[in-house]
Amino acid sequence: MKNQKENFRERILGGWAVWSSQNWGKSFLLLLVITLAMGFGVSILKTEMTFYSILPNNSNQVRDMKMILEEFPAASSILAVVDARAVEDPAAAEEQVKRTIDAIVEKLSRRDYSEYVVRTTGKTDMDFFKAHGFMFSKEKDIERSSRLYSDLNLVPLLTRINEDFEREYAGDEDKLADEEQLAVGMFRGLSEVLGIMEKSAQGESVSSVELDKALDSWLFGESYLLSDDNKMGIAIIQPTFTMEDFLTMAPGVNTIESAVKELGLEMGVDVGLTGMVVVGRDEMVTSEQGIILSSFLALIAILLIMIFSFRMFSVPLISGIPLITGIFWTMGMSGFIIHRLNIMTAMYLVALMGLGIDFAIHLLTSFIQERDEGEEFTSAIRKAIMKSGSGILTGGLTTATAFFALIIADTEMIRELGFVAGMGIVCELIAMILFIPPLLGFRQYRKDKKGKDENRIFSTVKIKSDAASGIGKVLSKAPVLFSIIMLAIGIFFATRAPGVSLSTNLMEMEAEGLESILLQDTLVEEFGMAPDYLSVISMDIGEVRDLSDRLEDLSSVKMVDSLGPYYVSPSETESRGALIRQFAENLEKNRAYKNLDGEMLLQELYRLEMNLMEMGDMAYMGNMNKLLNTIGSITGFDNDGEKVAESSFDRLFSMLEEGNADSQSLIELQGTMVPALKNKLLTMASDEPVTLDILPSTLRDSYISKDGKKFLINVIPTQNPWEEDFRNIYSEQMKTITDKGTGMLLAGDQLSFMAEQDGVKAAVVALIVVFLILLLDFRNIKLVVLTMVSLLLSFLTLFGFMSLVGIKFDFINIIVVPLLIGIGVDDAVHINHRYLYEGKGRMGIVIGKTGTALMITSITTMVGFASFIPSVMRGMRSTGIVLSIAMVIAFSFSVLFHPGMLIIITEKLGLNIKPWGKK
Amino acid sequence: MKKKSIMLLLITLCAAGILWAQNAQDIVDRADHAFQGDRVYSTSSMTVYKSGEAQTVQEMESYSMEKNGKTYSLSVYLAPRRMKGTANLMIEDDLWVRFSSTGRIRKLSSSAKKNSAGGSDFSYADMGDGGQGLSEKYTPVLIGEETVEGEKCYKIELNAAVSDAPYDKMVVFITIDTYRYIKIDYYESGANIKSMIFSDYRTVDGKDYPFFYVMNNHTKPSRTEVSVDIFETDSSRVQDRFFTTGYLESIR
Repeated sequence: MKNQKENFRERILGGWAVWSSQNWGKSFLLLLVITLAMGFGVSILKTEMTFYSILPNNSNQVRDMKMILEEFPAASSILAVVDARAVEDPAAAEEQVKRTIDAIVEKLSRRDYSEYVVRTTGKTDMDFFKAHGFMFSKEKDIERSSRLYSDLNLVPLLTRINEDFEREYAGDEDKLADEEQLAVGMFRGLSEVLGIMEKSAQGESVSSVELDKALDSWLFGESYLLSDDNKMGIAIIQPTFTMEDFLTMAPGVNTIESAVKELGLEMGVDVGLTGMVVVGRDEMVTSEQGIILSSFLALIAILLIMIFSFRMFSVPLISGIPLITGIFWTMGMSGFIIHRLNIMTAMYLVALMGLGIDFAIHLLTSFIQERDEGEEFTSAIRKAIMKSGSGILTGGLTTATAFFALIIADTEMIRELGFVAGMGIVCELIAMILFIPPLLGFRQYRKDKKGKDENRIFSTVKIKSDAASGIGKVLSKAPVLFSIIMLAIGIFFATRAPGVSLSTNLMEMEAEGLESILLQDTLVEEFGMAPDYLSVISMDIGEVRDLSDRLEDLSSVKMVDSLGPYYVSPSETESRGALIRQFAENLEKNRAYKNLDGEMLLQELYRLEMNLMEMGDMAYMGNMNKLLNTIGSITGFDNDGEKVAESSFDRLFSMLEEGNADSQSLIELQGTMVPALKNKLLTMASDEPVTLDILPSTLRDSYISKDGKKFLINVIPTQNPWEEDFRNIYSEQMKTITDKGTGMLLAGDQLSFMAEQDGVKAAVVALIVVFLILLLDFRNIKLVVLTMVSLLLSFLTLFGFMSLVGIKFDFINIIVVPLLIGIGVDDAVHINHRYLYEGKGRMGIVIGKTGTALMITSITTMVGFASFIPSVMRGMRSTGIVLSIAMVIAFSFSVLFHPGMLIIITEKLGLNIKPWGKK
Repeated sequence: MKKKSIMLLLITLCAAGILWAQNAQDIVDRADHAFQGDRVYSTSSMTVYKSGEAQTVQEMESYSMEKNGKTYSLSVYLAPRRMKGTANLMIEDDLWVRFSSTGRIRKLSSSAKKNSAGGSDFSYADMGDGGQGLSEKYTPVLIGEETVEGEKCYKIELNAAVSDAPYDKMVVFITIDTYRYIKIDYYESGANIKSMIFSDYRTVDGKDYPFFYVMNNHTKPSRTEVSVDIFETDSSRVQDRFFTTGYLESIR
């Protein structure tokens, strides 16, 4: 068997090995020419290292997503979350939060930060609403205000307020919940007005500043963005950079972060940053964290294994030069054909190093084995290439074809990955076969010239070139036992395999304990804000309002942020204008009375307290804690409905009931309050048409594109939309209104689709193609089926293991599927070729020779991938674990199951595994 | 001949469709039977879980009856202390609330029936429409069989038949052998927004009634569990005078 005739492929390989090792100079020249040609391809290659590069180019949603980031400056906003929950007193905490927000705005507005910060906003721009408030109100709301403010004197005003409460909110928890924030602002304003009345009833004078502040609170509510318990607040920072600006993003976020954290320390509160650019910065930092040292150690370990296995100090160069050149050629071919590398294909080039080095290991192991058997250099290199070359070629081409099969995928990213990965294998294969013989020839020339023998260290620490022969001997003695054990393991894990699942929550791939991610949960819990949402771009402001109204009605939507409420059509300007003018006309007639009916005031205050208590009941039942606490602080009732504190109401009741209230002072208050409130309302009652140009810049930057032609609608969901079940409801409901929803969530769906649908389809096609190639190579159906069974068991074992320990597939670790097809098939192919070459009864030698190379390739690949495990990023960590386990599984089934089955089939059952037509 | 065959096939298909629909209606009617009772009295406790955290348990006493083709229901809170004496009165589409903190009564608009009841995941309509069965405003279509909560069930789609139906669609799962509701999926704008699961069925006056049900909200991190303690049909405790605003005023 061993002296079988060389086939054409072996003659070509052997011929090149001999010629190139003797004519290494000419060979290098030839390879240099090829490399220079590939250099042209590299020069036209574009590297798109953005998240969008892996999303389909032809999708409208992706186009819109890019547009949002590029054209709407506020889309990249950073949120500075101020946290004073450690402060016990609620009022002191709120005060500290507000002062810190003001300080952040002041600090980041300084020139020192202009490189990274466009604008910082701490509160709503009230001046604009003070000037145009009523023009933004719907007709029914203007009519309501007309009723409410028809008489601004104390008793009539309180009567109208009571009527309004009873009409608007009575028993309607959902309406109250929808407008909780607004209601809280209004009630706090009301509390201030009551405080002023109490002060006045006690005979104290009320300053115009106090009155002005109380009326502003009543009319406009809270201007700061505060949490439900008012112990946290948010400042919105608009940076000069976006997620796309990789170079500026990290230093920009770092500068802003240290500025706000420093302020937090000074003010005695915690301040943290979140937002997509902050998450992006954290991804950049954490993707390196924890793996720099481990990667370095892994590299050293791989080099040592190779140096001692092949007893050559020059092995890093002999395997490294073709490895790097192969990658360069891959980039060149990619430049010529697909013109670009995306973030995924660029990542694959790193994985290609692990696959490419395997070819070198097989060739060098074979070479060393021949030398150990006493062959002289030229003969050894010829035999090495001949013996392992066929296996390498078949294995390599099979893996390459498996990758090329991905070209049938629907998604562009998978197609590109298929091309680059397939081409990468081909280039590495060619580079190894073309480079290694002349490099070994050059080494031999130098050795001969210097007359050096093998270094003594290799005699001391000697790894045998047939180190795996022990496994081979044991296996040859009990092939059935080994096969049954491995089959049982495979079947056990196969039963668990259906439980493996796919993670669609991209946030689960980030590092644990990351402040930017934790703060997203805080936003949901404390502010009721979702960390992510879908957006819609519209070219028509009228459509913006229509869509906003319809989207807001969806049960999965908490609120819609858009210019909808700020767009006033010409006909509305007219109809609202008429109502506003009428309202203003009535307001003008308002005069402060010179008297006050104390009894009526008392009755209306009783009624107001009852209205507040009923609203407190509704807030209690609806779990609206912020509103409940606010109302409780006004009425003095705790959450159980127990009276726990004396309120302004109680003190006013007591003074009015006992006749101790200073009526004159109250009349004076009325005298100053009526004109003050009238002036504020008249300012709001401007009938001047409002256009988009006069909107505050914070609103324009958020919702109008730079060219002023496009409008953004942000649809804020009720829950964290990264949770898959909810995301389906949210996107399904949105689709009933518009199909133009886009956002980072879409990327998650797209990646899930690629992994789940396209990835599976491509894997099935790849397996079919692998089957056909193996059939062409071995021309024996039994051998091919057996090879595929080994691969199948590897997959089932991996899936079962992942399911058992709860590791999910994600869009990074899913790369294990093509890698396992490649490596799993490769290993079995090498054993098949060697077994066919060595013949029956020689499995011990087959494992001894081939198994050693398989062991070294598996160990080096595993060590390489295991270096990801210390990463703080969960996505990287799981990739490291999954790939390392996959290597162990592939090696175990190739060396412990497949050879045993070969022995059973050929030597026990006597079946023929030789190519058709050969006996 | 060919035309005749096609006609015959179409007639057969239509007839099968009608029978299929009728069958679905029968199944739903039989399942609804448990919820249709004159003068039903019950006491129950309701716990709302927000983000997995249990909120204060609400205990209530409920009365319902049907008279002259009208459905009446009254729920009175027994606990927590703050809500004790708060009551909801529903007569057809009209809804009144009596606040225990002030003793005042407010009438709500009919649209409020869609709102959350007591901060729970049930709407007033979910809680009070029992008198005429769950499918009153919907057209049923049998779409298959499925095993839910370990029970083999008919899967029936109920599409809104009237414009004031609270949901666009419901998918109900009714046990094949006992005609019990096991699960109801509520749909709004094309998505399953809530699911109610019934369990602990007990036979009361010859009817199977669930003594425990859970409403899982899929659009908010919330779920509501209701545990029924007492359930009586044709109960002497239910009196006509309870279903008036005058009675609401007298509650202490």
